[in-house]
Amino acid sequence: MPQNHLPAGFADLEPYLEWSLASEQLRSAKRQGSSIEALRAFYAAMMPRMEAVLEFLAGFAPQAVTDDGVRTLFLMTLSLAEIAPAVENYGQASVIDGYDVARFVAVHE
Amino acid sequence: MAPVPKAQARSWTERYPELGTGPLPVEPYISPAYFALERERIFRKVWLNVGRVEQIPQPGDYFVKDLAICKTSVLVVRGKDGVIRAFHNMCSHRGNQLVWNSHGSCRAFTCKFHGWTYALDGKLHQVTDEESFFDLDKAKLGMSPVAVDSWEGFIFINVSAEPAQSLHDYLGEDFKASIAGYPFAKLSGNCFSWYTDVNANWKVAHDAFAEIYHIPTLHRRMIGDVYASKGNPYAHALEFKVFGRHARVSLSANPDRQATAVETLAGRFGDVVLQQVNTDASAFPKGVNPSAYPNWSFDGLAVFPNCLIYVSQGTYLTHIFWPLAEDRCRWEIRTYAPPAENMAQRFAQEYGKCSFRDTLLEDGSTLERTQTMLMSGVKREIYLQDQELILRHRLKTAESYINGNA
Repeated sequence: MPQNHLPAGFADLEPYLEWSLASEQLRSAKRQGSSIEALRAFYAAMMPRMEAVLEFLAGFAPQAVTDDGVRTLFLMTLSLAEIAPAVENYGQASVIDGYDVARFVAVHE
Repeated sequence: MAPVPKAQARSWTERYPELGTGPLPVEPYISPAYFALERERIFRKVWLNVGRVEQIPQPGDYFVKDLAICKTSVLVVRGKDGVIRAFHNMCSHRGNQLVWNSHGSCRAFTCKFHGWTYALDGKLHQVTDEESFFDLDKAKLGMSPVAVDSWEGFIFINVSAEPAQSLHDYLGEDFKASIAGYPFAKLSGNCFSWYTDVNANWKVAHDAFAEIYHIPTLHRRMIGDVYASKGNPYAHALEFKVFGRHARVSLSANPDRQATAVETLAGRFGDVVLQQVNTDASAFPKGVNPSAYPNWSFDGLAVFPNCLIYVSQGTYLTHIFWPLAEDRCRWEIRTYAPPAENMAQRFAQEYGKCSFRDTLLEDGSTLERTQTMLMSGVKREIYLQDQELILRHRLKTAESYINGNA
C-alpha cells in the first residue's frame, strides 16, 4: 500500500498520492479513467518538481525497500511517465484513434 | 549534418530483380487455403524464434510455447548439464499436455493426469503402477524431442521431424555477420513485454511494423519527426539489404527533432526506446549501422517468417506474429534494456515504455480495419512502394516456400 506521506522536501506533492500505483495496468487504468483536466493538473504539479525528484530518486535502487515514502514518490513518477503522452501528444486521456489498451496485455508489472 | 544518401527512385527494390515491382495479391491475407499451406510448408518446416536464453538461466528452468500454427505446444527446458532442449509438451501415456503453466523451474516433469515423471532431458523416469502395464519399454517412451538451437541468445525451434537445414544454415553466414557483435546479452537484463490477440492475418500485423513509410502520417502525433526530417520528409531508409530469406533496413534519425518536456527529462537519466540518435558511428560492430551514418537511429532485421528485431543504441526490441487463423493472430512485443540502476533511470525506462506502447496502439488500430476490408474481396491487389521492400521480400519468400522452391 502507498504511504500516506512523501519524503521530506516533497510534501507539496501529497495531494497527488492517488497516483502512487504499483503496476502499469493500474496506472494505465487510472489514466484512462481520468479527465484530461485531471491529467493536466497532475502533470502541472509534478513537472516543476521533477528535476529535484529525479536527482533524489537517483540515489535509490529500483527495488529498494524503504519505509519513508520513497517508493510512493517513485511510483508517482511512473504515473507521470504513463500520462505524459496523454498531456503532451494527444490532449486526451486515450491514444487518439488508438487500439484498445485493455486488449494489450502487459506481461511485466 | 550529413545528408541522408540519396538513392535513385525505386532503386532499392530494383537491385533485387527477383522481387519484381508490380502489385501483390490480397489472397494470402484472407484465404483459409493459403493459411493451410503456410502451416504445412512454412511454419511446420522452418526455424521459429520462441524466446531468449535469459528466460531460462538455471538448470530446471523452463517455458512453454503454445504454437497453434504448428498444432503443438512446445516445452523448452535447460537441463542439469546446462543444455537447452525442447520437447512436444505431451505425456507418452495417453497424450495429456504435460506442463500446464507458462514457465517455471523444476527437477522433473510430472504429468498431472496419472503421475508419469520425466527427467529434464526428456527421458521417462517413472511410471505409476508400472507393473500393471504390458511390456512397457520406458527407454522408448521419453518426451518427443523438438529441434532447438540458439543464435545471439534467441532460442529457435523447428517442429519438422527432420529439419532440412540447421538453424545456422537457415539464418546464413552473411545475415549472422550483419549483426555479430551487437551486445544482445548485455542489453537483455530487463524485458518489458505485451501481447494482444488481433482479428487480422499475421502478415497484416507483420507488414505494419516492417515499413517506415507510415510513420510521418499515422504516428504524426507521437514520433512523426523522429525519422522524418526537413531533408528526408518521407523517412527514407539509409539502406536495404536482402540476405536470402531474411532482410535488413537501416534508418537515420532526425537530429532536429523537438522532444517533449518529459522525453527530454527522461533522456537525461536513461535510454528511451526507439527515440535514439546515435552520434558515434564507431560505437557498434561493423555490421550495425552499415552506412556508418552519424545520425543513425536503428537497424531492423526481418527474420523469416514472423520475427522482426530492431536494434538501436542501448535498447532493442522484437515483434513476433503468431498465426491463429487466416484472420487472427497473436502479436507479441518485447523491449529489452539493461536493468535500471536507480529509480530515476527506471522512470526514464517507464517513459520509453509508455510512449512506445502508445505508438503501438496507433499501429494497432489499422490492423483489424485493414483485415475487414481485405476480406470484403473488393480489391484483389495491394501496391507496394520502394520503401516497403521488406514486405515485398517476405511475400516473395513465402511464395517460394508455398511453391516448393525455397
